[in-house]
Amino acid sequence: MSAVAAVRPTPPPKWRVVLIELVALAIVAVCALGVDANWARLLDAPANAWTYGGLMVRGLLNNPFATPFDEYWLTSLDFMWQSIAMAWIGTLIGAVLSFPLGFLAASNVVPRWVVFPIRLVLNAFRTIPDVIFGIVVMLPVFGLGPLAGALALAAGSIGSLGKLSSEVIEGIRPGPVEAVRSSGARGLQVLRWGVLPQVMPEIVAFWLYRFEVNIRAGAILGVLGAGGIGSLLSRLFDAREWDRIGIALFVVIVVTMIVDAVSGAVRHRIIAGGTSRRERAEIIASTAGAAL
Amino acid sequence: MTAVAPRAGVRPARPRPSWGAWSLVAAAVVMTIVTGSAIHFTLAPLFNSATRGWVIVRQFFEPDWGFLLTTIKPMGVTLATAVLASMVGCGLALAISLLASRVTTHNAVVYRIAKAILSILRSLPDVVWGMLFVAFVGVGSLAGTLALVMFNIGIIVKLTAETIDAVDRGPLEAADASGANALQRARVAVIPQILPNYASYAMYVFELNVRASVVLGIVGAGGIGQTIQVELARFHYDNLSAVIVLLFVIVFLIDQASQWLRRRLG
Repeated sequence: MSAVAAVRPTPPPKWRVVLIELVALAIVAVCALGVDANWARLLDAPANAWTYGGLMVRGLLNNPFATPFDEYWLTSLDFMWQSIAMAWIGTLIGAVLSFPLGFLAASNVVPRWVVFPIRLVLNAFRTIPDVIFGIVVMLPVFGLGPLAGALALAAGSIGSLGKLSSEVIEGIRPGPVEAVRSSGARGLQVLRWGVLPQVMPEIVAFWLYRFEVNIRAGAILGVLGAGGIGSLLSRLFDAREWDRIGIALFVVIVVTMIVDAVSGAVRHRIIAGGTSRRERAEIIASTAGAAL
Repeated sequence: MTAVAPRAGVRPARPRPSWGAWSLVAAAVVMTIVTGSAIHFTLAPLFNSATRGWVIVRQFFEPDWGFLLTTIKPMGVTLATAVLASMVGCGLALAISLLASRVTTHNAVVYRIAKAILSILRSLPDVVWGMLFVAFVGVGSLAGTLALVMFNIGIIVKLTAETIDAVDRGPLEAADASGANALQRARVAVIPQILPNYASYAMYVFELNVRASVVLGIVGAGGIGQTIQVELARFHYDNLSAVIVLLFVIVFLIDQASQWLRRRLG
């Protein structure tokens, strides 16, 4: 019996792992040379981060009700609100436009020859970053301002929302559709009573998720002049006003966390359905924990 | 044959209207009205100033392909930045995600701190990281690489930590029973389970990085985005158009390759 215990299985060969590690290392080395970065400056980063970070914190610690700091806080909040407004309108337009496209890109709803071109269009939209829509179409036509930003976000949202919706629609259970059809429903009636109730919660959850994404994505459009927190930050960074940057970043972090927590709770409620009071308390506790 | 009693008249009662759902809809409507007026929503420019805008848009249909020869270097820098940032970011993210899951980190304080830092990381957009690192290390692709690393850590840690939360507990118990310490336990019981998902997240982040490097270049962090910024400032829309088409093709190819790989991993 003791002889059996001494026999260990031979370990799997190590050379494959070593090979993968070597290849990864080689890729990192090649790219580190290829990025053409001034690596020496990496040594300055901690000192600079410490100095500027200190200045930002000092801006935060000033009495927010004394002039001029009350003005700084109000400006940051105002621009952040503009970012949220841009993201909301952008997401809404993207959602409305992508909704029918999602159905037209689902192979269990429409024939193959419709699905193929619609998917091609959605993929093309998904590939182009929002900022390109901003540069090419929205800023020239709508001029500088948050409206152009909102429309660029809308164009950027269509592709991903359409694709996600179509995947949800393709994943439905056929039972309800058969039931509706057997009771005499046709065409749109089947979609309304057989498909829509199954897919709506998940699609709305995707819309909310996209809203969270768009609040962040709007920042770059602001840098290009489309309003929102990005335009404020780009001005402050140009002027190196570190105390104001500290305040603006604090506002961005806190507001984004609050929006994420609220949107996350609503998404959870929509997907998971109703809950008892005790479960609800647990969810609130856990989302609050996640936000911290 | 027994007669079935006609029951056509008996219909189930309509469900009561759900106050929760209607208040959500009402909140969404209010939010739309308020935000719409905040950004002065109107589609009028589409008709009024469309001609002014179309002058510019039309120039995008006449791309100057010759310009692409000068974009080879910045495009290479962009791709190298994306690869490097993905690999470094993923490496750091794996370590941090072990700290950000209750399965691998029993110390509540460490776990809370890791989660808190993660939320702050995730709430800052990629551009803001770009601006910060341009200030810290100067204009150039080093700033872009560092910004992407931070951006990647935020995304991968969130996804990976959630995957770790859901691992099968059997191997963990086996490792505990044989006396493994925290690191050995993570090495033999957790990482093998999450590896396919983790690799898939890494590919996903690489896709995002190629797009994000456009954004980062605009704030001075190097690569093809810087080229776009310069051409935009010079109003050379024909050059800009060629760059955008090239970018579209490259992003599309990378997305397809990455999705093919991810399907195989999943």
